[in-house]
Amino acid sequence: MIERLKELRVEAVAAFEGASSASELEEARVRYLGRKSELNQASRGLGKLPEDERRAAGRAVNEIKQELSALLEAAAERLAGGAGGGAGEPDLTLPGRLPWVGRKHPITRTLERLETIFATLGFEVATGPHIEDDFHNFEALNIPADHPARDMHDTFYIEGDKLLRTHTSPVQIRTMQSRKPPIRIIAPGRVYRNETPDASHGSEFYQLEGLYIDKGVRFGELMGVLQKFLGELYGQEVVVRFRPGFFPFTEPSTEVDIECRICRGEGCGVCKNTGWVELLGAGMVDPRVFEAVGYDPDVYTGYAFGLGIDRIAMMMSGVSDIRLYHENDLRFLRQV
Amino acid sequence: MKVSLKWLKDYVDFDLAAADLARRLTEQLTETEVLETASTEVRGVVAAKVVTVDPHPDADKLSVCVVDWGEGSSTVVCGAPNVRAGMVSALAVPGAVIAGGRKIEEVTLRGRRSHGMLVSAAELGLEENSEGILEFDPATEIGSDVAGILGLDDEVLDVDEQPNRPDCLGMIGIAREVAVAVGSELRLPEIDLNEVAPGASELCSVEIEDASDCPRYIARVISDVEIGPSPAWLASRLASVGLRSISNVVDVTNFVMLEYGHPIHAFDYDTLAGHRIAVRRARKGERLTTLDGVEHELSGMHLLICDGERAIAVAGVMGGGETEVSEATTNVLLECAWFDPVIVRRGAQSLGLRTDASQRFERGVDARAMETVAARACSLMSELAAGKVARGMVDAGDWEAPPVTLSLRMEKVRSMLAPGPPKEKAAEELASLGFGVKSAADGLLTVEVPSFRPDVRVEADLIEEVARIDGYDKIAHEVPFQSLAITTDPARVARDGVREAMVGLGFYEIMTPSFMERDAVERLGMKPAGEPIELDNPINKEMPLLRTTMLSSILDVVRRNANVGESDLRVFEIGKVFMGPPKAHSERWMLAGAVAGTAGRPGWDREARSVDFYDGKGVLWALAEALEVDSPRLSCYDCPVFERGHAAELLLGDRGVGSFGMLSREVAERWDLPQQVFVFELDLDALVELCVPTGTFDAPPKYPKSRRDLALVVDEGTAAGAIVEAIGELGERLLTDVQVFDMYRGDQLPAGKKSLGFSLTYMSRERTLTDTEVDEAQGRIVTHLVERFGASLRE
Repeated sequence: MIERLKELRVEAVAAFEGASSASELEEARVRYLGRKSELNQASRGLGKLPEDERRAAGRAVNEIKQELSALLEAAAERLAGGAGGGAGEPDLTLPGRLPWVGRKHPITRTLERLETIFATLGFEVATGPHIEDDFHNFEALNIPADHPARDMHDTFYIEGDKLLRTHTSPVQIRTMQSRKPPIRIIAPGRVYRNETPDASHGSEFYQLEGLYIDKGVRFGELMGVLQKFLGELYGQEVVVRFRPGFFPFTEPSTEVDIECRICRGEGCGVCKNTGWVELLGAGMVDPRVFEAVGYDPDVYTGYAFGLGIDRIAMMMSGVSDIRLYHENDLRFLRQV
Repeated sequence: MKVSLKWLKDYVDFDLAAADLARRLTEQLTETEVLETASTEVRGVVAAKVVTVDPHPDADKLSVCVVDWGEGSSTVVCGAPNVRAGMVSALAVPGAVIAGGRKIEEVTLRGRRSHGMLVSAAELGLEENSEGILEFDPATEIGSDVAGILGLDDEVLDVDEQPNRPDCLGMIGIAREVAVAVGSELRLPEIDLNEVAPGASELCSVEIEDASDCPRYIARVISDVEIGPSPAWLASRLASVGLRSISNVVDVTNFVMLEYGHPIHAFDYDTLAGHRIAVRRARKGERLTTLDGVEHELSGMHLLICDGERAIAVAGVMGGGETEVSEATTNVLLECAWFDPVIVRRGAQSLGLRTDASQRFERGVDARAMETVAARACSLMSELAAGKVARGMVDAGDWEAPPVTLSLRMEKVRSMLAPGPPKEKAAEELASLGFGVKSAADGLLTVEVPSFRPDVRVEADLIEEVARIDGYDKIAHEVPFQSLAITTDPARVARDGVREAMVGLGFYEIMTPSFMERDAVERLGMKPAGEPIELDNPINKEMPLLRTTMLSSILDVVRRNANVGESDLRVFEIGKVFMGPPKAHSERWMLAGAVAGTAGRPGWDREARSVDFYDGKGVLWALAEALEVDSPRLSCYDCPVFERGHAAELLLGDRGVGSFGMLSREVAERWDLPQQVFVFELDLDALVELCVPTGTFDAPPKYPKSRRDLALVVDEGTAAGAIVEAIGELGERLLTDVQVFDMYRGDQLPAGKKSLGFSLTYMSRERTLTDTEVDEAQGRIVTHLVERFGASLRE
């Protein structure tokens, strides 16, 4: 019996202290101290106990009753708004003096997350200029002048052969020109496209480029690394699909989809009923790119990949209009 | 490229639902979707012969018709003006469903029972409006399903157009991929050509000015054509991919282009002066009105097709109006040529004409299929328009595309695609795509690239073909464990540190455009910081310059937020500015931002106060503290962007790294900002360079410090900083810190005077200081200040 009383006490203390409203507290009172409560019944049943047990049990019942009554009173006081505070005590419900709170831009935070994941996979960060030339942005990447592949890039031109980079891929070229393999880098940053902004395209947005060059790099390593990256980003259960694609600077090329996370592959508006969402473009570095930077394509192989940071940020927070990221409306920035 | 499944089945057999085929092509070729088709909902509409037509006794515009629809005859009431006995039309029998899901039932119209309805194209969802009911070829089988006749039971795929695959802009190219995907055979059209005299070379001539522009031009002549409507199968093939049927001859050119991916052109032979074709560059200022009715001014970059007198087409882009095939045409000259892709592309771009033809030529059409393509078109014109095909062709340009042979090393395949298919399998896969494959030495394949695959030029291209046909899912994923040394760019780490510090100080990070208005610098009242860089093709003509300052776009953000009630704001951006001239340009990282609205967050125990200079300065000094920058200083800065006297230049050591201050009233008005705004713009590259962490530290002192306060009455004009500096100059060894803790002006002081309170901290690293030595040091300082500034101690 004493054992049961101890249990009952623990339950009751938790109920009184945890009560967050007067009605919850009243419920707890009826349950633990009420006429029909187990405690009350135990108290009435004392007479039926053998003499030697009766005394100890009676003492225990009384102690618990007293303790619980005191707790009930305290809890009632707490809930009745005792926080209002007497003289000299603060009104706990008045607002505190708030310092300003700041926040990094959601694109920055997405980028940091990606960088962290790629750092664990052994990629270091490389950077390049935003004002590029035709060679680094196009020619060296096997996108010759007057090739239809140029249609994939609406370019902002500056005098001569200067232009605003349309992708982060020129950083590949600059890195290969300035270093010897092995190279394993990511190159995040702002890129520019001469496109009228709409819900899914901005004229300025952020990309992340990856490049790994070494002897004997295999297509399967690219797939392994991207699978691992997507697993870290979206959870290891993510379903990834590699399918053929075309990029002038990789061969073979692949476009990488993940199964739509909204409909789980069933097909919905977000994935345009395909069940898949395209996230990355990738492939094995085209030997013509190696030739452009003076590497021997018979000695080195490597892979490259690229993804849109804005797009990943959008998918992470369910934002459907890319323009929100560039309007700098505090009412938006506070939430994402 | 739109691909009708019914049409596709002309070339390859497959038994897959549209969605499954789309998935297979997506996995093997490129992104492919099933398009929503016009009206798969139409059901129960059949071809029916109108047997009799009698006027409705009680309605002028209605007729009562008896129609035979195979399974019986019915009486229907019809209001179409074109209904007549003997025609074959479309009958929706009771229970049928037409466009919009409308169900047909028996109805009574003005007293006469109608057992179904004769329907128009509009009622089947094929047109917006129709003039009358549908009319089919009299040979149409009565009772057959109209959905089948009209191709409504078709499904259409959209196969993404890849810049490197001209073959996939033709049905045969797609069919070749489908055949590989489903493991069946590609079936090419059978061409049956009856040629008659005289020969084509007696009827026309072709001259090419420069073989590099147009290495080969084939002309054929088809005479005595009867221009008329296309048969239903042809019209429905074209309709299924969104092309309008025009006439049998014109439709054949479009059909063959879509079939082979090779654009061809039909000229009205009799309109060609001298029955001559000349291929030459345009002369400057030469004019041509194309089929779309637009007159273009041409130059030497454009390649023209001309007759004996004038330009008649922009080669590979669009034909001219004067020589097009019309209802009056009886003889046709058919062009099948190979134009240089770059000339076509530049020409089309400069004219703003991206046509089905130019799209194909600029990717490089199949140079070895030209004769076949021309023959196919001729045979169709003879079949469908009763044309007589003149014997042979005029074949100008002695050119055959050179064969391309590549070696494929299986060792390369294995190392890149590990595990990769065995040699025989790789050979099979390439052969299935039309490559000529010969096994050479051990581990080597010699591969002849078919002429329709100009995208395959190196070994890596072959490896991709093998990879995608073998299946990307066959490749073993590997995560390598060897790691490379990682070096980090210290400047980048430092910029991240600045960002962290700004966020810690309660600022929101923003990202603003890299472009600015031509007059932005002027509107800011700033001196131009060098020559700005101008875009050749800005997206927004108002913002043609790359920014040389971020303040303009930051003020835009302040205003935009103020407009929506967010006037208390602390924002910053870390971004690049660009300095010209383009030939010797530079990019710099900058840190810029604004503080606007109330000084602290509004609270119940404080009076709201607007941001002032000291709020902003405090932020920058806190930033310096966070970055462990030693003793930032400032100097006066006069620039119209700032309110006079409320601005300063930030100095680290002796180097200016940017400016800050309260926005001047004029600039605030220009940006329509009512409130007080503190702005700053710092050269982040310089800041980062100057605040290299020392990597050392001083152990926290073991002995207590002593503090002495000092209140001095000085002239109004005496700067607090000058006094702090003067104290420092004295070089008191034990003095470790001086802070200003009070400033007072008011009644208790003589006019023109103010009182400044300083808190001085003394400390030794060796021992606890005695009161006496601290007092002595303090005394020396007081004496110096009294002398130097004419100050007096305030009691």
